[in-house]
Amino acid sequence: MSSAVTTFSRLVRFPVAALLMGFLLAGCGVNNIPSYEEGAKAKWSDVLNQYQRRADLIPNLVETVKGFAKQEREVLEAVVAARSRATSLQLPADIVTNPEAFKRFQEAQNQLSGSLGRLIATAEAYPELKSNQNFLALQSQLEGTENRIAVARRDYIEAVRLYNTELRTYPGKIWASILYGENKPMETFTIADDTKKLPQVKF
Amino acid sequence: MNAAAHSTLSESMRAASGAVCASAGTLSNHPPSRGGSTRIASAKRVGVGGLFHFLSKFAPHPRPLPTTRKSAREEGSRAAVPRSFLASVIAGAILLLVAAHPAAALDFPALTGRVVDQANILNAQNRNDITEKLAGLETKTTSQLVVVTLRSLQGTSIEDFGVQLGRHWGIGQKGKNNGALLIVAPTERKVRIEVGYGLEGTLTDAIAKFIIENSILPRFRAADFPGGVKRGVDDLILVLQGEGEEFKKHAVAQQPAATSDQMSDEAVLAIAGGIFLAICLVIFLVVRSVWRNVKDARSRGESGWSALVPDTSSSSSSWDSSSSSGSSFSGGGGSFGGGGSSGSW
Repeated sequence: MSSAVTTFSRLVRFPVAALLMGFLLAGCGVNNIPSYEEGAKAKWSDVLNQYQRRADLIPNLVETVKGFAKQEREVLEAVVAARSRATSLQLPADIVTNPEAFKRFQEAQNQLSGSLGRLIATAEAYPELKSNQNFLALQSQLEGTENRIAVARRDYIEAVRLYNTELRTYPGKIWASILYGENKPMETFTIADDTKKLPQVKF
Repeated sequence: MNAAAHSTLSESMRAASGAVCASAGTLSNHPPSRGGSTRIASAKRVGVGGLFHFLSKFAPHPRPLPTTRKSAREEGSRAAVPRSFLASVIAGAILLLVAAHPAAALDFPALTGRVVDQANILNAQNRNDITEKLAGLETKTTSQLVVVTLRSLQGTSIEDFGVQLGRHWGIGQKGKNNGALLIVAPTERKVRIEVGYGLEGTLTDAIAKFIIENSILPRFRAADFPGGVKRGVDDLILVLQGEGEEFKKHAVAQQPAATSDQMSDEAVLAIAGGIFLAICLVIFLVVRSVWRNVKDARSRGESGWSALVPDTSSSSSSWDSSSSSGSSFSGGGGSFGGGGSSGSW
């Protein structure tokens, strides 16, 4: 009798056990690596998006400044050149796991940040420009974009930290060796660049 | 009998119970559709039982959850399985929490209402007036605007503090991210309008800057904090209700200026809100009826679950916030991405 009941309960229990197994595997983190990877990729898109937004603001800004401060040709040209370098940079598909490409991207954007900062500082010397409504609006948009870039970069750093930690610690390391052999740690922004970059655009 | 079978199975795997993740890992090497499924199935069962046994040692008095009870009823085994399943759920939740929430560096004030006057620059009358206006704004547009004054920025920038505070509180409706904060830090002489993702098109950086420079800062410079905050709130409400024509004229910024569009948005929103509430109600009723059935079936441990009911889903909290009139205000789960503008005086 006991064995009959055991067989019966085994039959009934199997789907339940399979279901629970799914939850348990999820609890063990079998999905962590791909989901953290997707999270980090989404944050990376956000970073790119904000940098693109900044690049889109620049032509307008340059035109506005030109109207009041034509003689600042050197600064204006530096911004235009840095922008075209940053936007023409070919980003390989694997940029987040490719240290060299990532470094090149970071350098191009930092250069643009630097020349933009110089442009804004130059504008301080032109009272008419400083009180121009168009310039003020562009300035506030640029300020907001720099802030969004900072937020997007921080979110990306945090997402990559989660993902890289999962790849390098147990039990994620086990899953990585079994199922996700091709997943590589992602590159992240260095803190030195963050502190260097942030105070450059001052209003 | 069930319990006996269960315990013998788990007995046989007790040695390996601590390494369930590892054993599950080797299992997943087998393609699921291949032959020998009975072997895998029994191994799975053993693995599950082993973990249950292992975890139930750590959670001797768990609170029953609805799913647990349901499965308990289906199986007819009421002692071992729910308890150990719950133990695994709790363990998983703890792991998730630990993984998802690194220690926050900043000390945020509690969200006590739509006006959080930590720096104490407003009197009770001001607070009530502003709260009423902000509640009206949410009723009309579902956008959540919160005024917060801070004693200290704790060493960080107001931009950084603002975005983290907005995310911490979850201001704005979930999915719409239509929250905004007016932050005043009198100690650092900084003011900021922090704009949620969903409002960045309506309340652009340029408009936020304009409100700060023209409505708020002149009054703050004259030490009229309540006046500056009130004027800023009025302007923000105008813009968020889509009536900010004068701001569009002054602040050179292109924004989608279609009031008819926004009206239709509101209509869509009202319908969506109605459907959402209906779904919430249905879920609530189902959950409650399940709970009552289970309660009838078993007469122990109910208090834990009944206390859990209002807190289990974020949808119920946004429901609370949209129907409340300010006294029990909570964020709807919106997020922020650094939009907005700052100023100092």
